[in-house]
Amino acid sequence: MAWVYVIVAGLLEMFGLAMMNRFKLEKKLLPLVLLVIGFSASFFLLSLAMETLPMGTVYAVWTGIGAFGGAAIGMFVYGEPKTASRIFFIFLILGSVIALKAVS
Amino acid sequence: MSKHWIFIVVAACFEIGWVIGLKHASTIMEWGLTVVAILASFVLLIAATARLPVATAYAVFVGLGTAGTVIAETLLFGEPFELVKALLIGLLLTGVIGLKLVTPGEKPKPEKGVS
Repeated sequence: MAWVYVIVAGLLEMFGLAMMNRFKLEKKLLPLVLLVIGFSASFFLLSLAMETLPMGTVYAVWTGIGAFGGAAIGMFVYGEPKTASRIFFIFLILGSVIALKAVS
Repeated sequence: MSKHWIFIVVAACFEIGWVIGLKHASTIMEWGLTVVAILASFVLLIAATARLPVATAYAVFVGLGTAGTVIAETLLFGEPFELVKALLIGLLLTGVIGLKLVTPGEKPKPEKGVS
């Protein structure tokens, strides 16, 4: 269950960052409220995950999902370049997360 | 060295602080400090990346944060050190930093004056 918490926390972090970018552009209340809710939920789930998993592992995976998600959204939603080096690093993140889960 | 690089280092220290807080805080005081550390790391990171190359600054920040949390849990909280786990975290970090460095990013605003 702790791994589910970390992954959902990572997804909520991506959502929070997306809302932060929207807030920077629009300066409206709704993205601000959503960004606070998104990050609060993300941190709450991180603390739940850390009840059973080591904090270094949880933090690294959470950061990895944020970077992975940001790049994936950039490439598939905003048409950023899908270069071989970006795809290599994306799979490096994915592979190490899966391996970390396997050895935990 | 620009003072914004110092912001990055201090932001990473706050980052390690809130990670420790999320795992170990038990009193209202400790939870309060955890929230302050979260906000401080955000504000400092945003302030610093406004003036530094974003990808490089973020790579340094996340490297310090990840290494710092692993070192803190091993040295301060007696989490057993496992070589395989540490190597995998290093590999994951390589992926995160590599991704940031090869991503065409925003250009920082020029520094005002000499700092």
